[in-house]
Amino acid sequence: MWQKIKDGFEERAGLQSLIRTKLKDYKVPGGINIFYTLGIVAVIAYVIQALTGYFLLIYYIPHPDHAFKSVQDIMNVAPFGWLPRTLHIVVSNLMVIVIILHLISIFVMLSYKKPRELTWIAGVCLFFITLVFCLSGYLLPWSQRSFWATTIVTNIPTAFPVIGDYVANILRGGDNISGATLSRFFALHVAFLPPIFLLITGFHMFLVRRLELSTPPFSTSAEKSPERYPFYPHFFLKQVFMIMVFFSLVFFMITFMPTFFLPEAANTPADPLKTPFNIKPEWYFLAPYQLFKIIPNKFFGISLQVLLALIFLLWPYLDTKEEKNILKRPLLIIFFILALTVWFSLTLWGRHS
Amino acid sequence: MRYIFISLIAILMLASSSFASYREAFEKEFLFKSWGGEETEVNACIDCHSSDIMKKEFQNVTQAWKKSWHYQNSVLCDDCHGGDSKDATMSMSHQRGFIGTPKYTEVPEFCGKCHIGILRNYLESGHGKALQTTGKGPNCVTCHDSHNIQKANIEIINEGRCTKCHTYERAKIMKQALFATENKIRDIDKELENLKAEGIYVGNEKRELFSTQAEFRALFHTIDADLVIQRTDDFTQKLNIIDTKINNSFTELNFRKNFSAFLTLIFVGLSIVVLMFSKTYKD
Amino acid sequence: MNRRSFLKSLAFILGSTVAASLSYPIVKFLAPQQNKTRDGKISIKKSDVPLGEGREIVLGGIPAIVINVKGAGYIALSRVCTHLGCLVEYDKNTNRFICPCHAGTFNVEGNVISGPPPKPLEKLPLNVQGDNIIIG
Repeated sequence: MWQKIKDGFEERAGLQSLIRTKLKDYKVPGGINIFYTLGIVAVIAYVIQALTGYFLLIYYIPHPDHAFKSVQDIMNVAPFGWLPRTLHIVVSNLMVIVIILHLISIFVMLSYKKPRELTWIAGVCLFFITLVFCLSGYLLPWSQRSFWATTIVTNIPTAFPVIGDYVANILRGGDNISGATLSRFFALHVAFLPPIFLLITGFHMFLVRRLELSTPPFSTSAEKSPERYPFYPHFFLKQVFMIMVFFSLVFFMITFMPTFFLPEAANTPADPLKTPFNIKPEWYFLAPYQLFKIIPNKFFGISLQVLLALIFLLWPYLDTKEEKNILKRPLLIIFFILALTVWFSLTLWGRHS
Repeated sequence: MRYIFISLIAILMLASSSFASYREAFEKEFLFKSWGGEETEVNACIDCHSSDIMKKEFQNVTQAWKKSWHYQNSVLCDDCHGGDSKDATMSMSHQRGFIGTPKYTEVPEFCGKCHIGILRNYLESGHGKALQTTGKGPNCVTCHDSHNIQKANIEIINEGRCTKCHTYERAKIMKQALFATENKIRDIDKELENLKAEGIYVGNEKRELFSTQAEFRALFHTIDADLVIQRTDDFTQKLNIIDTKINNSFTELNFRKNFSAFLTLIFVGLSIVVLMFSKTYKD
Repeated sequence: MNRRSFLKSLAFILGSTVAASLSYPIVKFLAPQQNKTRDGKISIKKSDVPLGEGREIVLGGIPAIVINVKGAGYIALSRVCTHLGCLVEYDKNTNRFICPCHAGTFNVEGNVISGPPPKPLEKLPLNVQGDNIIIG
């Protein structure tokens, strides 16, 4: 009976040959390491965010008078409401970490070289979109941290001469953070960004499949025997393993440190008349924020940041040497380690200033 | 391509150096801008009274106030003394309601402007009657200090303070009457802090506790130990309701921890199984 | 059974445990909360409901009506039509309740005269005490 249904479906959709060519005959290079699975982990993290987001959307009220209470109701009144909310918070932070690790491993393996420049650009765009997701998302609970961290971030464009105030007003929907800001950030977070993210992810994955996974440059086994394994089940199982590890980490954090990403200011309703002491943006924005603080000239500060972002985005076109093994490029190694150290120390400095 | 970028940086550095401004300007304009009508630190009273031209006693006043519970809740000089704290020329003007330092016998009405229920209870009490009839007796400042006012607690009733006019016996009876309820209030407060540390928002319960506690302490000012004992049951009931809510929250938190621990274990198990499974394919 | 199929079934069991322990919270999360029992009484004056007239009230979230019928006295009925939930209107001239959605018709006692409604309108408890009518 079941076989009949399968046969009937096969006659109409013809999936068997697709499965064979795309999953079983498709081969991945031997010697690929676990870092190659980080991409799919990021996608799974996005899926979790979307799913938990739908559940939160059922009870959340995007109005300043009701937002905080509706989030508290999700946590304490709706049955098991704490689960999607805590998942949403933990996974959002871990997703940024996974994407950063993914970017680092791509950089170290120099996988952005020709013909994969477009993949890199799409990937960096996805990273920026994730950060905008995070930014628009953490205004929604309308807590002290939400309100004031967003106030700071939306005031950064005022550093631009002439158009700065105008841009900031568009972001905020007014001169100050208000209900108008909440509405537009909510629309951005829930309706505008998801399809854009999916489109670019689709493009990114299409390119990855089309150009096939890059061979790891410094695994000796690849040089000796250019062996290739079928995607299914070898690499697929590696991916599933990493996804399980990711889930274990997520639930570990939910069990033992559920308030790790929720400082006290994040659990107090927003008070437009009282700035909490020592307010900071989320950890992934600490480095740019600190850099911004230490440069005395606002305009220079913001243009430097924009320039750095552009360099980051268009890096494959700036580094055109064809060598694929990073161990043979000591200058690049030094540059990379320097960049990472600077970013890391700026983050730590921002944390403790 | 890269040269375009390098030249862009060079141009921007040159251009922006002509806009040179200083770090203080940055901080003032940007980080410490007052948002949406936030209270500014302009306080004419503090400005004069903390400066060196003032007598030492006056300077101490502002320091004492800064340590107080009033300061934490933004109760400013003009809220009690009148006048205009935003305008130095009118800060002590009678036109703006300035009333200066109250006389010893006028202190209860002075504080009773806001603490109305307590004033009523006090005036009916032995303490209040003594002050009104003889001009001698404890007023608010006797127990609570004038500017360094701290959160009320049961230790304000002590031998040193209460034996100025009579024996400690009477004070001890009152202290005992308050004791159990005060302990319960203190315990509930601690539990609420614990809950807050676990990430639960306890604003509503804190407000309930505060209003119950305020009512209870207002009752003390009647200096009528029998009345306190009589009404203790009511208060204990209200406190018990809050206590039950807190216990329910802790139970719920425990359930959540167990639930997610269970899921963690399953996922760890799954990762191990998948790993071993993938190893069976290593040809 | 070899190692591969053992591990496969183990993974399947663990996977279904996860699915089950996540589906229970999802169902509970989406299921509506239990409704509290209808409580509260409404009290209106006799003068509010003259003979032949009706007075609309809301009892515990349910729209209802109190009518004063010649020969039958005060009657309190729920206005929720038993067909598909629209609210019925009282027609004084014909002494009928008519539902605007599918033309279901009820008499003053709430019984169905014509149309699709399957059951009579729900009667609400009513007490007359002096000058007041207490419903609920």
